[in-house]
Amino acid sequence: MSWRAEWLAVWAVLVRNAIMASRNVFFFFELLFWPIVGVISIGFMTKFLALTPAQGSFVLIGTMALSVVNVCQLEVAYAVLMDVWSKSIKHQFLAPIGIRHLTIGSWIVGMVRGLLVFVLVAALGAWAFGFAVLKPGVGPVAIFLFGCFLNAWIVGVFVCALITLFGNRAEAFAWASVNLVLMLAGIYYPVSVLPEPAAAIARAIPLTYFLDAYRSHFGFATEFAAPIATGLLLSAVYAVAAHLAFLAAIQRARRTGLLLKMSE
Amino acid sequence: MPPLASSLAIDARDVAKSFRSGWLRRRETAALRGVSLAVPRGAIFGLLGPNGAGKTTLLSILATLLTPDRGTVRVLGLDVVREAAALRRRLNMASGRPSFLWSLRVGEIVAFYGRLYGLSGATLRRRVDALVREYELEPYRRVPYNELSTGLKQRVALAKSLVNDPELLFLDEPTLGLDPDVSVRVREHVAALRRERGMTIVLTTHYMREAEQLCDQVAFIKAGQILARGTPDELKRQMKLGSVIALKLDPPTVPWLADADGVLRVTAGRDGWLECAVDDVEKRLPALLRQLFTDGVVVRNVQVREPALEEVFVELAR
Repeated sequence: MSWRAEWLAVWAVLVRNAIMASRNVFFFFELLFWPIVGVISIGFMTKFLALTPAQGSFVLIGTMALSVVNVCQLEVAYAVLMDVWSKSIKHQFLAPIGIRHLTIGSWIVGMVRGLLVFVLVAALGAWAFGFAVLKPGVGPVAIFLFGCFLNAWIVGVFVCALITLFGNRAEAFAWASVNLVLMLAGIYYPVSVLPEPAAAIARAIPLTYFLDAYRSHFGFATEFAAPIATGLLLSAVYAVAAHLAFLAAIQRARRTGLLLKMSE
Repeated sequence: MPPLASSLAIDARDVAKSFRSGWLRRRETAALRGVSLAVPRGAIFGLLGPNGAGKTTLLSILATLLTPDRGTVRVLGLDVVREAAALRRRLNMASGRPSFLWSLRVGEIVAFYGRLYGLSGATLRRRVDALVREYELEPYRRVPYNELSTGLKQRVALAKSLVNDPELLFLDEPTLGLDPDVSVRVREHVAALRRERGMTIVLTTHYMREAEQLCDQVAFIKAGQILARGTPDELKRQMKLGSVIALKLDPPTVPWLADADGVLRVTAGRDGWLECAVDDVEKRLPALLRQLFTDGVVVRNVQVREPALEEVFVELAR
């Protein structure tokens, strides 16, 4: 397959997801409502607890990471979910496209949406509560965002794999489990405060390292030796695992007939 | 003489497929039991059979949506499992009661699938325009899919199925649930696809008239096995259903008719018609009329017709 054909297949999914995003009222809630609710809650909570500006930023960075990852992984999962909901999944897998096209196309839309959420939350945090989450500058912000997007891609692809494996009844389970795992990534607290079994899980989550690296710019000592490199390495491992899991799930769905059942 | 493999669009041999269900109590349902099928290029081939016979399963295996448990399947010369990616570029499918993303508009749906098949820019625009025109969807081009009627949805499905100009088209119950006038137009489109583009078409249908009208060859599937195949006329001959002599008599029934030479069976039709299936109409009709005249039975009306494919279906589905 040529690079042009590869890009066209990615573009097809990207355009479709972008159109669907622009016409669905729920996307408004995903993009604006919940992130804004998150910032306002955190802002008032930090005021009530009388946290220092650095501590407030620590917590807000966690909220931002969670919002960005959630919005972006949701979009990646839409690569399969929208077709499952509309019972058109067999047409998608009848066409000559691979799962890389599906997940990358929807990931690009997810990154745009994630970036919007990030900017919105950062601006609101700065305006309403004086949080300076963009203080570290373009480079660290870009690395932090890229880490969030990588994690979102991994989570979204695992959700796609679970749904393709067990059908849409697995939706709730898929999101509950990934959110549970993400909560252990040191979203609102340092990994060092977690009990050892939970800390071990946190150390296995790439997002933990990107959060750690970004928070170090706010005066919090890093808990890991080379957090960005470790985060990227772990992300690469999980990305390969997620891709293979989704591939295996599709092959299984073709074998068991679930692909057809989800289109009936 | 059997057709050469290269002249075949589909060459399936000994295909078997089972579905397993249940977690604690595993149940296994055999959907296909050693099906073999050869479809020549450029043919319209019908897969007929009762519900749950295995038609859609077979169609899905041929279209690479399902993998077979056993057997070899070559479609357009490619293996459906090992060479599925290359094969998918050259085929397409439309199903009855189609579903697409609810808020995409008609033009956007066709364009989305066009891009998946590698079309872009002016080529894509021309292709979408041509299909939208061909299926008379222009007035609905900007209407979201979930606001379309069943007939329009079916036309969108057909337009989408032609976006890559496939060499092989699968139609799964293409006229299911459509109004008669829309069904007629869909059939006309299908016939035109073969006539004008030389496309090979495999269709499943419950409507025997549709199969008789469109298909060069048909295969009857029941319980995962092909029971009979051939042209509709060959099948009628194979089934030895004979020709039908319909009689309107006075008195309306004649006791000896069922036992007369060459009469295979007698059934009561509508409005007082008696339908006699006979082995050789040219030989039996004069003899029957003579005997009826001798017995003083008044023959008010007589019609001769060949058996319909529907009767073959009923016979095989028993």
